[in-house]
Amino acid sequence: MFLETLKNLNLSFRELRGSFNEFKIVVASIFLGVFIISAVGSISKNLKSEINNKRAEMLGGNFELSTTYQEFPKNIKKWLDHNGATTQIIELRTMLSYNSQSQIKRRIVELKAVDNNYPLIGKVVISPNQELKLSLNTKKNTKNILIDKSLKDQLSINVGDLIHLGKSKFKIGGIIEKEPDRMFSFATFGPRVLLSGESLVETGLLKAGSLIKYKIKFVPNNQNKINLAFLNDLVKGTNVSIRSIENTTNNFNNFVDRTSIFISLVGLITLLISGVGISNGVKGYIIKKTKNIAIMKSLGAKNSKVLNIYLNQILIIFLISIIPAIIVGISIPYFFSPIISQEIFNTFEPSIFFEPIFISFLYGLITCILFTILPLLKTYKIKPIELIRNSSENLLIRSSYKIKVIIFLLICFLCVLTMNLINDKKLSFYILISMTGSFVFIYGLTNLKFYILSKINFKLGTTFEYIRKAITKSNSFARSIVISFSIGLSLLITLNIIESSLDKRITIAINQQAPTHFLIDIQPQQIEKIKTTALSYLGDNSFNSQPMLRGRILQINGQSVQGLKVDKEVEWVLRRDRAFSWSNEMPKNTKLISGKWWPKNYDGPLLVSIGDKIAKGMNVKIGDKIKFNILGRNFEAQIFNTREIIWENMDINFVFILSNSNIANAPHSWIATTKNVGQNLNNNFVEKIVSEFSNISSISIEESYKAIKSILNLLIIIINSIALITLFSGIIVLSGIIDVGKKDKLYEVAILKILGATPRRVAYLWFKEYFIIGLISSVVSLIIGFFVSYILLNYVFNIEINVDYKTIFVLSLLVPFLITLFSLFRMIGLIISKPLVVLRSHF
Amino acid sequence: MTSLMKNENKKKLIELENIHVDLKSSFETINILKGINLKIYKNESVGIIGESGAGKSTLIMCIAGLELISKGKILFNNVPIHNLKEDDLALYRSKNIGVIFQSFNLLPSMTALENVNLPIEISGNFKNNKMAMELLTAVGLKNRIFHYPHQLSGGEQQRVAIARSLISNPEILIADEPTGNLDKKNSEDVIKLLFQLKKDFGSTLILVTHDTTVAKLCDRIVKIDNGLIVK
Repeated sequence: MFLETLKNLNLSFRELRGSFNEFKIVVASIFLGVFIISAVGSISKNLKSEINNKRAEMLGGNFELSTTYQEFPKNIKKWLDHNGATTQIIELRTMLSYNSQSQIKRRIVELKAVDNNYPLIGKVVISPNQELKLSLNTKKNTKNILIDKSLKDQLSINVGDLIHLGKSKFKIGGIIEKEPDRMFSFATFGPRVLLSGESLVETGLLKAGSLIKYKIKFVPNNQNKINLAFLNDLVKGTNVSIRSIENTTNNFNNFVDRTSIFISLVGLITLLISGVGISNGVKGYIIKKTKNIAIMKSLGAKNSKVLNIYLNQILIIFLISIIPAIIVGISIPYFFSPIISQEIFNTFEPSIFFEPIFISFLYGLITCILFTILPLLKTYKIKPIELIRNSSENLLIRSSYKIKVIIFLLICFLCVLTMNLINDKKLSFYILISMTGSFVFIYGLTNLKFYILSKINFKLGTTFEYIRKAITKSNSFARSIVISFSIGLSLLITLNIIESSLDKRITIAINQQAPTHFLIDIQPQQIEKIKTTALSYLGDNSFNSQPMLRGRILQINGQSVQGLKVDKEVEWVLRRDRAFSWSNEMPKNTKLISGKWWPKNYDGPLLVSIGDKIAKGMNVKIGDKIKFNILGRNFEAQIFNTREIIWENMDINFVFILSNSNIANAPHSWIATTKNVGQNLNNNFVEKIVSEFSNISSISIEESYKAIKSILNLLIIIINSIALITLFSGIIVLSGIIDVGKKDKLYEVAILKILGATPRRVAYLWFKEYFIIGLISSVVSLIIGFFVSYILLNYVFNIEINVDYKTIFVLSLLVPFLITLFSLFRMIGLIISKPLVVLRSHF
Repeated sequence: MTSLMKNENKKKLIELENIHVDLKSSFETINILKGINLKIYKNESVGIIGESGAGKSTLIMCIAGLELISKGKILFNNVPIHNLKEDDLALYRSKNIGVIFQSFNLLPSMTALENVNLPIEISGNFKNNKMAMELLTAVGLKNRIFHYPHQLSGGEQQRVAIARSLISNPEILIADEPTGNLDKKNSEDVIKLLFQLKKDFGSTLILVTHDTTVAKLCDRIVKIDNGLIVK
């Protein structure tokens, strides 16, 4: 058996000599798909491994215990101090102001006050180089702070400049280059500012009711005994939340998994599109090898022997393509290591992992066999008699039962592999169904178009008739061109429609409904004065304010939320602290979906109004009971109504609004928004408030919108790049098809020239032929693009469809021109060929 | 009468009974062979002549098991081969038949030596370089064994093809117009060589040719016209 394989391999190699050039498209097709899968797999594995190695450093300890609004219960803090190493951190958002010569510049920042033990693990790197403790605890009158590089750039400030935080003045002591626990304490609202705990007290920003996070990073002495369950028991009944390295890294790993699944799928789609290229390449190769196959058969080779020889050759080519693809793929983490070190880890040392190599190898192998098995079977149909009778042009064969089973098994294996890659049965089911559906849809639609074209029975002129016959004949490759380009183009069209619809929706929301600014951390004693100022600056109805407190949901209908099954989309509500508001008056613009608002003078047991979609996701209804923990105290409220929440209006949207109760007496803050009454009036009002009340921070919606838009744009650029990659796969397929059909085209052009056609006329004829193929591809893509975007916009995004017809028109013409120009470029040599030379060599 | 008596004393190798070959296209059915009856004896040489399209090549391809017959019987050593499956026919060819084509049909990616070795490699055996080199020496190509087909002249390529046809020591050598693509001098050399090797190897030779001078070198001449044996 082994000897037989070796003998076959030896023969395959010798038969392959001089034919490697025939496989360049197959090599490119396999390379592209396998490279993407191995690169993404390697990056993802490396990131996860690095995180697992450095997770304690990134969390800042083995555990992070945190409270909101209130300092830690003394007994818990004392216990932690006695049983391990601790460092206490206080985090809050506030406005930083810088008095430049001409104006006062303000920026919302994320303050982080640290004690002398910080950081427990790792090191803060500061530029210019200095010790954190010494820098923050200077004995000088003006204390130091350290700032993020982004803040330095935004405000054009530098080391040594003076800034204001609350009622204190600080000197910029340095720029933070590395913050070891940055990764797991996302600074989302603004750049990071580091200062000492004592300095923070002096700012006067630590006011009751302000949104302040108190954190303790903890490394226990006895790591075997003190685990998450132990600590949860310790803090039971308090408002302390705990994060351990396990659950924190799980979240990050999930994020890495989801991202890598997304990009791996791109690789898979590319590989599948490349499959069309592989299939055409092998089909062309077998046609070219017809004579050799016939010779071997005339010398006594069995069908299985011939199949074996050519299958071996494909596997040799597969190995030649896949080895560099995997090598380049697994090298990608090394190429990106400086960026990953800079952005995520302090140091990042990539490694080579077996799993992505194995997975990408398997994907490549299955795709390769799946797409080459049918062209390879054509060797069965080649008879030795072809040597005296040239009849190999149409090698159409019907696949046998066994082959159908093999193809089915390969597809199943590909599905299992994809499910394993995605690791989420439901998601992988949807993905596989949509992928299969899309392929079937594109394939069906393309065949329908060609069927209609082949049945057109009215006179359209000789040229069109010639083209129509050329692209609808049974061995034409036009279908393959259409299918491979339609996948990429329909993706581009779908994205464009979704983008323009989302864009329009956001623009309408911003222009008509969204507030211009948010004001946060307003103290209860400040709100009345601010309301009066707002009335004089903005007039009536342009200022909206609500009280706010944060707390957690503990139970729903007596059942603990831990382990409670809710829809994935609403899991975030139960996960961590949420903001609550309260009011006996129904907030402005509220649309109730079920139930009614409680009376203005209501003074009974606690009631709650809840967002309708959230209620549905949590499987709760009117009358159900929810237990909250707010500031360490438990409250149970009965659901009284559900209301619509439109997140896109960017206004104050609380998931939970409680009825008035003694919660109102707890330390809390207010949040307010201003509606657009004119840019100057709005800016003047906000400037007046933040300069008068140093504890209040303002967030410009326009700036937030720009930030969101830039994230959206990034996402759109990524998905568009993917669509372009798929179009590139289409070009590879087209290139292969041109190679395969070159001989026939050469013969065809010779005949046309003998009959009097000029090179220009031939070029014009081919231009029309390929342009029509491109147009068919565009029509197929337009139908699919519109259909898919309509479904997504209507049933997923719930927004009205908006089409940018100009861009869609340009996109639709992109493929016909791409196909035509590329084909003509590849066939210039044929167009100028000498007909007599061609015909002599043909016979 | 003498020839018939001679043949009756010889061992019958191939027997064709009422052979019909029909080629079907989408428009019509062409009857290429219309009832051929022929016996070929061990070690004899048979020259098959006839006009273009008479069915000469089809006839020998039927004997080689390369063309399927529509009707009739083909017996090899009294064993029917016309009803064999494709793989059994391949086995029959590899063991018993050596074919020489008009257009040489060498594999362009293999050297002369590899081409000669090809039939035994295809049948799953180890290549026999010693014998292949002896054969190439016998056909006068001792110095060309590592040359590829494109580095050889037409006559040299046909010599390689002859060497290849003999590597498995087949009982029957089938040559389909072996000199059709060669000039006069090369043709004479190739024919001389073919008959010499046929004698050396003790094979049966079935030779299709247009050239009556060449046909006359054979023990027997069979003339085909319009799908039937006329002489």
